[in-house]
Amino acid sequence: MAEANEGGFWMKKPNVCILQSDGTNCDVELHYVFKKFGGNPQFVRVNELRDNPKILKDFHILALPGGFSYGDDVASGKIWAVELVSFLREEIENFRKKGGLIIGICNGFQVLIRTGLLPFGNLGKMDATLVPNDSGHFECRWVDLKSERSKCAFLKSNYDVGHFAVNHGEGKLFCNTETLEKIEAQNLVVFRYVDENGSPTQKYPQNPNGSLNAIAGITDPSGRILGLMPHPEKFVDITQYPNWRRDPPTGRQGKIIKPHGAFIFEEMINYVKENLW
Amino acid sequence: MIQTIRVRTNKNPTARVYRLEGITEKQAKILAEKLFRENVNQTYTINKPIFPNAIEIAYKMGVMNPEVASIIKAARDLKVNLIACDSSREYLNKAPIFNPLTEHIVKKEPTTLLIKEKAGKTAVIPIREMGDKELLSLSKDKLFLNLDEMKTIQKYFQKIRRDPTDLELETLAQTWSEHCAHKTFKAKLIIDGKSKAPLIERIKKEALKHKKNVVSAFVDNAGVMDFYDGWAINGKAETHNAPSAIEPYGGAMTGSGGVFRDVVATGQGAKCVVSTDIFCLAPPGMDKNKLPSGTLPPDYILKRVVSAVRDYGNRVGIPTNNGSFHFHEDFRAKPIVLVGSYGILPKTKAKKGKPKVGDVGVVIGGRIGRDGIHGATFSSGEMSERTMKVNATAVQIGNAIEEKRVFDAILEARDQDLIRAVQDLGAGGFSSAIGEMGEKTGVAVHLEKAPLKYQGLSPWEIWVSESQERMLIILPPKNLKKFLEICKKYNVEATEIVEFDGSRKLQVYFNKKQVGDLEMTFLHGGLPQRVMRATYVKVTSPSRLHLNIPKTKKRWINHLEKILSHGNINSKEPILRMYDHNVQGTNALHPFTGVGMDGPNDAAVIRPLLDKPYGLVVAHGLNPVFTMMDPYWGSIWAGAEAISNYVAVGGDYKNASLINNYIWPFPDEEWLGKLDRCVDAVCNFMKALKIPVISGKDSLSATYRGSNGFVLHSPPTLCISAFGRIPDVRKTVSSDLKNIGSTIVLVGQEAHLRGEAKTLPGSHLGGVPRVDLKMLPRVLEKMHKAIISGKVLACHDVSEGGLIITIFEMCVGGNCGVEIKVDGKRLLSETAGCFIVEVENEKMAKRLFKGIPYKILGKTIKDEKLIVEDLFTADVNKLQKAWQKPMKEVFG
Repeated sequence: MAEANEGGFWMKKPNVCILQSDGTNCDVELHYVFKKFGGNPQFVRVNELRDNPKILKDFHILALPGGFSYGDDVASGKIWAVELVSFLREEIENFRKKGGLIIGICNGFQVLIRTGLLPFGNLGKMDATLVPNDSGHFECRWVDLKSERSKCAFLKSNYDVGHFAVNHGEGKLFCNTETLEKIEAQNLVVFRYVDENGSPTQKYPQNPNGSLNAIAGITDPSGRILGLMPHPEKFVDITQYPNWRRDPPTGRQGKIIKPHGAFIFEEMINYVKENLW
Repeated sequence: MIQTIRVRTNKNPTARVYRLEGITEKQAKILAEKLFRENVNQTYTINKPIFPNAIEIAYKMGVMNPEVASIIKAARDLKVNLIACDSSREYLNKAPIFNPLTEHIVKKEPTTLLIKEKAGKTAVIPIREMGDKELLSLSKDKLFLNLDEMKTIQKYFQKIRRDPTDLELETLAQTWSEHCAHKTFKAKLIIDGKSKAPLIERIKKEALKHKKNVVSAFVDNAGVMDFYDGWAINGKAETHNAPSAIEPYGGAMTGSGGVFRDVVATGQGAKCVVSTDIFCLAPPGMDKNKLPSGTLPPDYILKRVVSAVRDYGNRVGIPTNNGSFHFHEDFRAKPIVLVGSYGILPKTKAKKGKPKVGDVGVVIGGRIGRDGIHGATFSSGEMSERTMKVNATAVQIGNAIEEKRVFDAILEARDQDLIRAVQDLGAGGFSSAIGEMGEKTGVAVHLEKAPLKYQGLSPWEIWVSESQERMLIILPPKNLKKFLEICKKYNVEATEIVEFDGSRKLQVYFNKKQVGDLEMTFLHGGLPQRVMRATYVKVTSPSRLHLNIPKTKKRWINHLEKILSHGNINSKEPILRMYDHNVQGTNALHPFTGVGMDGPNDAAVIRPLLDKPYGLVVAHGLNPVFTMMDPYWGSIWAGAEAISNYVAVGGDYKNASLINNYIWPFPDEEWLGKLDRCVDAVCNFMKALKIPVISGKDSLSATYRGSNGFVLHSPPTLCISAFGRIPDVRKTVSSDLKNIGSTIVLVGQEAHLRGEAKTLPGSHLGGVPRVDLKMLPRVLEKMHKAIISGKVLACHDVSEGGLIITIFEMCVGGNCGVEIKVDGKRLLSETAGCFIVEVENEKMAKRLFKGIPYKILGKTIKDEKLIVEDLFTADVNKLQKAWQKPMKEVFG
């Protein structure tokens, strides 16, 4: 266990598994972020986990980064989801029971959806899907997100609107009406795309993919799994935001005073420190 | 037996088709339900149609389908073992446009997906007995060597008293190809009767005078310069024109893949951190009747090259942060696809180790197929209508994920100190890479070990295949085991096939039989140096300037709208929004910034080490029309444009390095004379700025010849890329105007009014604006100091379209306007090396720019209008529509 001297007393750092597959490409920045906010991140290649599944229990947080796992062949995140469900089902179930946190960003979210872990924690059964953007192509742009009061166990602050990068071709959350109602009724929606007035929107490009109910990120009923299409890890330093020169990140009413992606990682780390030791 | 699964979404009327060989229908059902079909929104059939009368488009047999490997893997994870598989797409009613070189309409269901051919044999070519005519016919379409070179080969084999194998001839043709050997750049020149040193010598000589930051130049796959804290940065730009002309998607993809590998295969391995894409194409919508036979429509090429960058760069995870488009009808036969790529590596690992006797060579990555055979020799030849038919194997589709895992494995092996040297398997395949790495020691190669995509390849085909996503890793034998373990962890196939044996020969075996035995001294030293004659054609500057200055307010606005909608100038935002520029989280200056994030910036700034403020700045400049009009001043303009873009964002030109790329018509006497002037310009540019060129490439085959005598030269083009370091990305600036009431200043020495928007159809030709090379470094120095002082609010360099266009783009980013006083001629001036700058007030402008030419133009205003006193008032939003419309129309 890594330790560091912070605030004048010895504190443990939560272990974060940054899981990689062939085609994972947002792993380095995710590693950087967890380290920056007091975690102890480690890169783990999926083959290492398959060879030695037990190592998962040494971690407090499992993070699935963005990228194009196995080329997003067949469907985005599909091949990796099949791999995880086929070989690591038991270890993932145990990890959840123990109270570990899981975050999937972009391709990581696509994997969580296709394993069935999101929205309802049904490992091995898909209830919703992420389909190609309504625009028909990859979108690289910055959008505004509003974070809602939700079931998410570790995001406690009531943040308002923040700027986030989106970089994906298949990000439209899609499911049948019944499922959508269930997701809403259980307060599983954590983030929505919003317009210039801060209201959830179906308008392109503020809603970059046409996602139902403007959903950008969701949690599961346990509140310990978070998946989202936008990239909070790409806005933890001021200079990462395109308009940092003209519009430093102060947010509406000055509520958000840090780079807008930071709180997610800080609160994950805090949650582990408060709940899992 | 093939099981065919068809999956359709309930929304769009297309279906995916998966053909799976070697499994039962029951197994197919498992795969359908667990892998291919998603029950939330899709339906499927097995061995039954899903649409009536569907049209299916599939890759042709033997063309790489990148999805296949993933499907086989996922099936195996589900405990189903496939012998072979394929995927394709079905359409209802109408098929989209496809390229018959790589794809076909499936008319009959295939009975097997396996390519079963007997391995070809090695042939001996009786070259010793051949006459000139036979030698030339042997060379044509295959070896692409000239008669002198063929005769040199003939003499060698006469001397050693045997005939060569096909593999040996191919090896010589690859190694001696223009693409690999740069015969023109190394040639002795005789220009108008006077001899002149070879082009490459002149470039190197000047470059090496400015080597304070240089770690390595001209010796590795990319040039390397110093960064900070023990790190170095490297850069390379390369064209992939010939394959892109006949298959733009595959061509541009493998172009990206190749240049990324060049950067990674520098020293003992680098990490690729940013890329640039520069395209010179015929304008979309040009008259189809003007297209020579054997060429593709410009709209198709434009869309496909953009898709290729998107699908390859985004997947490998390298941000595409900078690029440009240049349209001219003369690019309709041979377009330019120029990809740049930049990396970071520890300085201690920035130089390749020399292979030692006893070292081994391991090939890692993709398997070998017939794709890409003769790429190096083919790209060295001129293009004709026969090109598409004869050289189709030179085209392939890239597999980005293969490349990504190869890179991941290399970086881990590098960090564990296992690697002696990394070499890219690009043009010429094994033949070039192994031949080059084994030059000093000699090698024994065991070709039968090489992993193949399918059976049936002859040894020479394996040897010269340019199948993508492969690297050669050279390491001491004691590191082999550890290295192979790393490859396994990353799902990278690795095969030891080379032994560095001290023989000083290139010895190639196939199943214990020797199929090649060449002395390294002949292979690398036998190519006769060319002596080439050239002649200067006087550049005719117009005696009188025909400046097309609009006379009325209305004409001004029409003129502006016309310029703004021109392909070179209009907004490329729809394209940039499909390229990932956020990946790696390093971006510190996005391609577009401003209130609506729609104002374009001049260069890329990234922070390659996330926990450090250090910046890597990347910019480029070129103007094919200017180099066509005047190869010397057009080339100076390209250099000035590159370095001005670089400085405009906060780059420090004294800590920059340059990359030069020459894309030139086939060098007959006249074109070689022009190329010589271009190289003179590059040397003088280095001299004036005291910074070096550290990498580059030439592509001297931008000529098309039709059977009816029709000849088309693409505009000769020099692209200068600039890259370098700054200590703090927070001291950089964007182009969007920041405040209302601030002062707008023109900084820099304008050339005499030669330039205007000449590239526009119908406007009069002026001369190329001559950049003052004495003044330029002084301006750049002041500009840089001004930016790092933090007092520059916005800055944008003056370029094509003239300074009014520069100011317009700044207003777009700032959602504001300007009120300025400038005379009409000056508004259209295109002098590179000039900047439009926003500062707080006139006093500040004086403080910052005293001592260099500058002029106060006016002020920023809240109203979104361009008000030019005495000339016109134009609505920024209206102009913006004209500027954004063309690419929105193409890309939606």
